[in-house]
Amino acid sequence: MRKIYSLLIMLILLISTTSIVLGDAGEDKGNHYGKDDDFESDDDVDDKTEKEIEIVNNSFGAEIRLLQLEKALLKNILKGDMVVQVLIGLNFTTTELKSILTEMKALLEEVKAANASSNESVEIFISLKNESKNFTTQFRKTIRELLNDISLSELRVRIKEMLNASGQLDDYNKRIINLIRTFNGNQLYRLYSLIGEANSPFVNEYLNGTLPLNETKLQLFKIINEKTKEKKYEIFLEIKGENIRRQIHAQDAIENMGNGHGKQ
Amino acid sequence: MNKKIISIFFLLIIMVSMVFAYSYFTQPTTEEKPYDYSIDSINDKDISDEIDDLLIDENYEVEIGEMV
Repeated sequence: MRKIYSLLIMLILLISTTSIVLGDAGEDKGNHYGKDDDFESDDDVDDKTEKEIEIVNNSFGAEIRLLQLEKALLKNILKGDMVVQVLIGLNFTTTELKSILTEMKALLEEVKAANASSNESVEIFISLKNESKNFTTQFRKTIRELLNDISLSELRVRIKEMLNASGQLDDYNKRIINLIRTFNGNQLYRLYSLIGEANSPFVNEYLNGTLPLNETKLQLFKIINEKTKEKKYEIFLEIKGENIRRQIHAQDAIENMGNGHGKQ
Repeated sequence: MNKKIISIFFLLIIMVSMVFAYSYFTQPTTEEKPYDYSIDSINDKDISDEIDDLLIDENYEVEIGEMV
């Protein structure tokens, strides 16, 4: 009888342990799903943003990312303005939407005025991007309270057509591509020098826009492949080193923001 | 009497196995696979991937979400 009692107690203990283990796992999942994914604090960093800030360690890279953010924000403001016009035509109250747009326009001015050469350019970019995302979410939630899914999808198509026809982002597209080409051009010059082909015409052709990026990469790859195994290895280590330096810089910057609490 | 003890004992074994199996399959993978960057381990794809990483995609867009 005593044996049965002791075995029963052990069984109870084991069941308790199991429930604790399962409870912990459940709690973890609960935290994940219970998290408010819609709004982000100033220093929240998702994986895409972490990748984006890898080039913000120099002012040129920061300029590219800030200009891309400026374009994304302007695009949403233009869409928002179009939505408001359509809704006014349908006799909807648009006060709240207009107020969000006003804040987005003020934020756009902040993005335009942001200093790409600042030592805090990473923090600035992350904070401005998160604010942009939050206003966009706020606008989207507000409009979803006004229209049903069918009307929203019709509106989405109409707004996209209007935006494409307006051509208001064409100038941004050109400026961004020019900046990216110069950035990539600098990297390519450095690589071709390392390979010992500093006078290669491919970089200039890429910079002129006559050679697309994919072709440029292919040409570079072909030249590297013609080199000896040791030289190829040296080139690989150089590129890998640069990529790792960027990643470390991005991670350092995130850790410096709120002692690493920013990473989602 | 003995039958009871044996059944409780089996139940115990099942419970212990369950706990171990659960903890084994849910443990986080903290050990990262070590990278091998020796001269013989580098292939064309590695070089191509690193070149892709080094250069910025011209069509990349910073995403802040959709308005509608």
